[in-house]
Amino acid sequence: MRSVAEDARRERFEAVARQVLEPLRRYLARRTDPATADDVLAETLLVCWRRLDELPEDDPLPWSYGVARNCLANAQRGVRRQHRLAARIAVVDPPSESVPGPGEREGRDLGLERALAALREEDAELLRLWAWEQLTPAEMAAVLGVTPNAVSIRLHRAREKLKEELRKTGEAAGHEETNGRRRT
Amino acid sequence: MTDDELLDQLRTRDPAASLPPAPPAQVDRLLEDAMSHDVETRPATGPEGDPRRRTPLTWLVAAAAVLVIAGVGAFALVGGDLFGGDEEPTATSPGTSQTTGQTTGQTTGATEPTVLELSAQPPTTAKCAVVSAQLLGLQETAFDGTVTSMTDGVVTLEVGQWYRGGDTDLVTVQAPPAEMTALIQAVQFEHGQRYLVAANDGFVTACAMSGPWSEELAALYAEAFGA
Repeated sequence: MRSVAEDARRERFEAVARQVLEPLRRYLARRTDPATADDVLAETLLVCWRRLDELPEDDPLPWSYGVARNCLANAQRGVRRQHRLAARIAVVDPPSESVPGPGEREGRDLGLERALAALREEDAELLRLWAWEQLTPAEMAAVLGVTPNAVSIRLHRAREKLKEELRKTGEAAGHEETNGRRRT
Repeated sequence: MTDDELLDQLRTRDPAASLPPAPPAQVDRLLEDAMSHDVETRPATGPEGDPRRRTPLTWLVAAAAVLVIAGVGAFALVGGDLFGGDEEPTATSPGTSQTTGQTTGQTTGATEPTVLELSAQPPTTAKCAVVSAQLLGLQETAFDGTVTSMTDGVVTLEVGQWYRGGDTDLVTVQAPPAEMTALIQAVQFEHGQRYLVAANDGFVTACAMSGPWSEELAALYAEAFGA
């Protein structure tokens, strides 16, 4: 028989986990292969369950992203080292599921992915958290374990670097388009 | 280009944009799986991941690693009971106390190196006892080896010294992905590194009994196996 305290704990976990599970799934889907994403999601939820007392009451999501980030790093260490590259490529250049939206030019999209891939990983991650997870600098700071101020500065620089890369790859694409399709 | 335009462009390339929500049944199962684990409140003292950064989140990972180590351990060794007890080691699998016939080494030819195959157990919630020579002495297999290859799902070690339970040149550790990931996190297998590895009933023992070679651990092994 479970105690009252245990029931309360389960109740709280269920409430929080249902709230963060889908964002966490997406977070992982953006960064690794589906099999690893499944494993790491389960691991992340387990850590959240065990450390429920430390989970912030008001906004548990950034904290949970931080757990997922570390669980993912763990999973990718060691035997998965070779796989990580493949996963990153899959994220940067997803095979077929991401079709260009209306009005988009394919060449330009590939340029964006290349530009993102050309950045330092830390910069690219900030941009992903900004654009895909749609976090504020304070939330990103909670995920990454740095100060919001540092995030604001780095994010600003990362955006400028990405724009600069886009300009470069955009020009390169312009030259190559005369020779037909670019290598993907 | 403005920041907003950049944001719009990035959002159109969100790899998760086409990901459908998880089916409710899957959500329920995930939550139930997590809650089926014990809640432990031991302090996080396990191996930590990245020594460069020690943010609170890093300690979270360390805590996760400790839990995984606790989980991988095959021994439900609840401190104290074992010491001085006359009972068999409380390993989880039935038949673990049989030392005979567990060496499943296979010889594949005169020129081929001999191989002992080991595996990893699924994570459990067993707690780990403090490592001691006495506990180590209960292990059926123990050796000192260097990781020579790590392919997906298989870790191969070249044995430098056998303490007990084998005489092969190589040991391979093979397990399903989940078990393997947990084991690798627990033992911190890395290519080219030297390890002290103990096993029971064909399963590598985590719980800090197997780990990177260190003088302390080597001394324990020497004491335990009379080397």
